Amino acid sequence: MANVRLSSIKKSFGKTDVLHGISLDVASGEFISLLGASGCGKTTLLRIVAGLESVTAGGVEIEGVDVTRLPPEKRDIAMMFQSYALLPHLSVSENVRFPLRMRGIGSREEQAEKVAAALETVQLDHLADRRPRQLSGGQQQRVALARAIVSRPKVLLLDEPLSNLDARLREDMQVELIEIHQRLGLTTIFVTHDQEEALSLSDRIVLLNGGKIEQEGTPAEIYSQPETGFASNFIGSANLLPAEIIDGETGPVAKFSDGQTLQLALEVSARGPVTIALRQEDLSLDANGDGPKAKVRTRVFLGARNRYVLGLAGEPLRALTANDVEFSAGQSVGLSIDPQRIRVLPR
Amino acid sequence: MNDRTESLLLALPGLLLLVLAFFMPIGQMLILSVSGPDGVTLSHFVRFLSDPFYLGILWRTVRLSLVITIICAAIGFPLAYIMARVGPKLRLWLVVMVILPLMTSVVVRTFGWMVLLSRSGMIPEMLRDMGLVGRSFALMQTEAAIVIGMVQVLLPFMTLSILGVITRIDGRLEEAARTMGCSFLQSFRTVVLPLALPGIVAGSLLCFTLSASSFVTPNLLGGTRIQVLAASIYKSVTQTPDWPFAAAQAVILFAGILLVLVPYIKMTGPKDG
Repeated sequence: MANVRLSSIKKSFGKTDVLHGISLDVASGEFISLLGASGCGKTTLLRIVAGLESVTAGGVEIEGVDVTRLPPEKRDIAMMFQSYALLPHLSVSENVRFPLRMRGIGSREEQAEKVAAALETVQLDHLADRRPRQLSGGQQQRVALARAIVSRPKVLLLDEPLSNLDARLREDMQVELIEIHQRLGLTTIFVTHDQEEALSLSDRIVLLNGGKIEQEGTPAEIYSQPETGFASNFIGSANLLPAEIIDGETGPVAKFSDGQTLQLALEVSARGPVTIALRQEDLSLDANGDGPKAKVRTRVFLGARNRYVLGLAGEPLRALTANDVEFSAGQSVGLSIDPQRIRVLPR
Repeated sequence: MNDRTESLLLALPGLLLLVLAFFMPIGQMLILSVSGPDGVTLSHFVRFLSDPFYLGILWRTVRLSLVITIICAAIGFPLAYIMARVGPKLRLWLVVMVILPLMTSVVVRTFGWMVLLSRSGMIPEMLRDMGLVGRSFALMQTEAAIVIGMVQVLLPFMTLSILGVITRIDGRLEEAARTMGCSFLQSFRTVVLPLALPGIVAGSLLCFTLSASSFVTPNLLGGTRIQVLAASIYKSVTQTPDWPFAAAQAVILFAGILLVLVPYIKMTGPKDG
């Protein structure tokens, strides 16, 4: 049974349409990510589920009950904010107890037990009496997480909770989020602009673009079979190149505007003008390779890898290589790629 | 010349002014309040504190100031909240409206109230026409008139003190409270009120001190029958004239206000962390 059901949600702020009819079912216990660039409406959609924003049209159901017109406090949800929104005048344990107190869940003793358990889950039981401003960003974030899970809400809403943390902490928190989700099995809606975060955390990803669902599917599906140029560019930041598919001697080939060709998989049936999506990590560069030639523009050293920006048929092309592969600017290198890994998208 | 002497030099004019315009008169007043015909005496204080008439004036001053402060806070807090949460354009207009009364002279404003509150004025007339009060009903020369007039004068101080604090409260805290099961009023009470407390305290302090020492409005709206301490001081100076007794009353007013300040400062002082 669907735990959360959104049916053709529309939202406008004044004359600006932010959401253009979004329908989505979230299964019970599912971890779903709303992924998109800033301004795509993902946070607005989350706030609509929370009840902090009204809908212009459409409806929200939680466990089969229509909650579209209910205020946030009447919906059994918990939300974790990007800024954490801890109450500065309350201690850590009072912050975590707040939802239990306001919703009248359990006796005082039961509440204290639940607070202790929640703080233990996020490994902060030793800081229970501190004030939020005495904690580091990572600790504040854990308090916010403890506060969100303590009441075991029907739906857990996370609004870019990891974006204010540094890279190292963010990785730790991702692991922790996965573990907590596995342990508690809360239906979770997670908003992020970070495709890696979405890929590593979610059961299902909903890719939003311009207030519409661009594509939805499991992380593996979204990653390996992007259906649109936007999807393939946003997930894995693939290179998008205009090309024309013609029949070559060895099956279909993509012909670029400068006349160079790239071998495609035999089963590609499309012909004519298309967009070719080449993922940067799938490209390999070889000074003496026989594939299409591209000119090296710049190299960005990333530590574990090198990123090269090349020029192919006047279009910029990014490629990730091992960190010991070195080319100089202006050098011409051959591109090769497994034909199976090339996505052909309608133009 | 090092930084220290330089900043001292910069502060000098201000310090001089403070000494000349504040500490000297206060010191003079203190000396005057204990000076009698034959040296130092506390007789002026004894006279004030043993006379029920003067004690009544003191009690009225404190009581009216408290009532005025509480009414200002009760109106100012919701008003400041609304001002903080509306759009910037509307907020500007509300701020202008709130501080507009400050831009006219106290005397002009008070005379306006005298016109409205007098026996044939608009407000008693309206109340009489609606049959809510009897024929002999009067508002002028009552404590109610003083409270009405003073609340209008002091409301901007309260509202702006609270507004400054509320605008710094993150609106997402209220949203978070809503998602944790608070109704709007509950989030107002459990989140906004405690966080706005420093502003309410600062505003109350201003209102209390200003109303305890106010003279023009109570004198004009309350009349000579209902005296407050400031009016009594004025009377001692101009009518009797008994300067040492006036000084003793001023010292009592001064000390009373200081007594109120102490717990407030303790309350809002630096907390742990």
